[in-house]
Amino acid sequence: MKVQRITIATFVIFVIGIGIFAQALYQQEQRSRTQDLQHKGNYLVSLVALHPMKNFLGIKRDYIVKTLAEYVTSDGLIYAIVQDQNGSPLLSLAHRDVVAKIPTDVEQRSLYVNGLIQQTYKMVGTDHTINEFAKPIFEGGQRSGTVRMGFDLPPISVFSLQRIKLMAIMAFFAFSMAVLVYYGVTLALRPLHEVNQNFRNICIDSVPVSPGSFKNGGVGEIIKGLEQSVFQLKDRYEKIQAENIDLTTKYGVISFEKHNVFNLLDSINHGIIVTDIQDNITHINSYMLNLLDKKRDEVIDHPLGDILVHDQITAFLLQQGAMKQSSGASYIETTFPELASGESFLVSLSYLSGRKEDVIGKAISFKNITSEKSAENAKHEFITRITHELLTPLTTINSYNEMLMDDEIDNVEMQKEFYNTINEETSRLTSLVKTLLNISKIEMGSLTLNKGLVKSDWLFDDCLTTVEGAAQKKNITIERNLPDSFPSLFGDKELLKVAIINILGNAVKYTPEDGHIQFMLTEQDDFVIFEVTDDGYGISKEDLPHVFDKFYRSTDPHVTEQTGSGLGLALTSEIVRLHGGEIEVNSKPDEGSHFKIRLPKEEYYLGKQ
Amino acid sequence: MENNKRVLVIDDEAHIRRVIELKFKNQGYQVITASNGEEGLDLIKNQQPDVVITDIMMPKLDGRALCERANELKKKRPFLTIVMTCRISPTEQDWISKLQDTVFVEKPFSLQTILKCVDQYFGNEE
Repeated sequence: MKVQRITIATFVIFVIGIGIFAQALYQQEQRSRTQDLQHKGNYLVSLVALHPMKNFLGIKRDYIVKTLAEYVTSDGLIYAIVQDQNGSPLLSLAHRDVVAKIPTDVEQRSLYVNGLIQQTYKMVGTDHTINEFAKPIFEGGQRSGTVRMGFDLPPISVFSLQRIKLMAIMAFFAFSMAVLVYYGVTLALRPLHEVNQNFRNICIDSVPVSPGSFKNGGVGEIIKGLEQSVFQLKDRYEKIQAENIDLTTKYGVISFEKHNVFNLLDSINHGIIVTDIQDNITHINSYMLNLLDKKRDEVIDHPLGDILVHDQITAFLLQQGAMKQSSGASYIETTFPELASGESFLVSLSYLSGRKEDVIGKAISFKNITSEKSAENAKHEFITRITHELLTPLTTINSYNEMLMDDEIDNVEMQKEFYNTINEETSRLTSLVKTLLNISKIEMGSLTLNKGLVKSDWLFDDCLTTVEGAAQKKNITIERNLPDSFPSLFGDKELLKVAIINILGNAVKYTPEDGHIQFMLTEQDDFVIFEVTDDGYGISKEDLPHVFDKFYRSTDPHVTEQTGSGLGLALTSEIVRLHGGEIEVNSKPDEGSHFKIRLPKEEYYLGKQ
Repeated sequence: MENNKRVLVIDDEAHIRRVIELKFKNQGYQVITASNGEEGLDLIKNQQPDVVITDIMMPKLDGRALCERANELKKKRPFLTIVMTCRISPTEQDWISKLQDTVFVEKPFSLQTILKCVDQYFGNEE
């Protein structure tokens, strides 16, 4: 609509302009022609008036007529009349009907005015305007006649060939100027347009102004477009700002969670290395850094192969990579002799998946399984030892029995000895099974203490009675040392007996013949103390810390020549511990050993269990 | 019944040493004994026994190490080794297969079984 109005307005202005221009041209032309006519009329009348009257009658009459006739054809001369002083025409160059149409007053004024006169009149009966120029002819200071000439103002031709040429040249220059101005303005506005276009590109939302309007090139349109763009940009900016706040919040949450995850990874007792798909390390936890003895900066963004130089692990990762496992985990057991001597690690690989279930990296974990391996080895060792300890007396019993049954022992004394050995080994087996059962129960936490009042003197005597036979065989003296009053204990009498007999039995076992053992019962504060001191072989410094370990047996020949499972002192220690007591040992090789068992007293036992 | 074959019994368990010694002496063998692996290895080197009967779990030098050392010595002078063991695990089978002239008997064994192994080795089985 706007375009149409502008077009119409432009057209109207153009037409008015043309009209005004044509009018101006017309007026200019008219003035020019009128002046020209005046000059011509004045000149011609004055020229003819110079002739004496006789010339209009004589020889020169033809010459004058011929000359004037030229003006008639080319310059609009309608009539030329020379009249004498009486008003009678001497020469008349005109149509008869023209002369008749000249108003009389015009003729009269021309005939009587002394001087050049110009009169404009309309011919009688027509609208034809005539300019009459008249001048008197003077001869000898007297007026002898009058020259009258009527000129017709020729029609004005605005669009003459010459003028059209001029207008064409002007139009050409005007058009050229317009083109140049348009081009210049367009060129000048181009940056603005480009800015606007850029704004439009920035503003993703649809712009209501059609692109065509910009081609039409209005600066206002461009500014309007810019304004719209700026508003949209502002909206967009506000949206982006809101999104930015949202993203900042989310980033904060993610950073916090990431920080927590990294803290968690750093706190766990496993090594963790995370790599991207190109096997560059993207994260490593503190445990792993300690293991590799490296700083985080030395590791992050470095290829895994450069940091972890380990043939077995490299081969494992290659093998896993070849299997293209994207889920689940596989593992190998390995060691790092140079970094962590004597420690075993379980290395496992997991593939990290992205949102589209595509593999985006690897997580390699290193679990220190030294203690597990140690426990596994200990368990294996334990079973092997138990089997050995059980099968050894069984083998003895079996083979001794076989010899007796095959009558390979003729000697009666030797037969007796064989029967005794079978008996001893059976007892050993029974004792061993009981000990194993007790240890097993203690370890499983299923050992129930059959607690009751235990009088320390009874316990003392029972233990002593058990080992006295063996001591007598070796002629070992057991010195009893008892307090005046006997404190009571609250515990499992049978288990306490086992614990003390193990100590006393060992004293007899590892004390040479004719040796001495002191068995002492004392009371100190809230404890009942059993002490066994011998002057036997003693325990070496190396063996001393291990005497309460399960299955530990010294390599000392005095020990190895005796039968033993290495479980007795371990069981004693556990029984004392279960009763809330303590056990300690002091010993020197060839000087003897001193065992001290401290058990809590139960002074106010009221029959509870 | 006398023969010139020498049997070495290595075990930290005195009763077992004693009974094997008696059994083989009754069969006319010369018997020497050792109470640990180290002592046993010395006797193998110095006494050159024809048969070594050894326990596995022993102080100082255990039966496994002893067998491996004995295997080296067998390259110069072959002899029979009888190993008294509690049980043979699958991993031990590989180790056993590398040993020359070595027989394993599981505890508790019959003395006759050991005797039979020795007789088979010397080719005097009836």
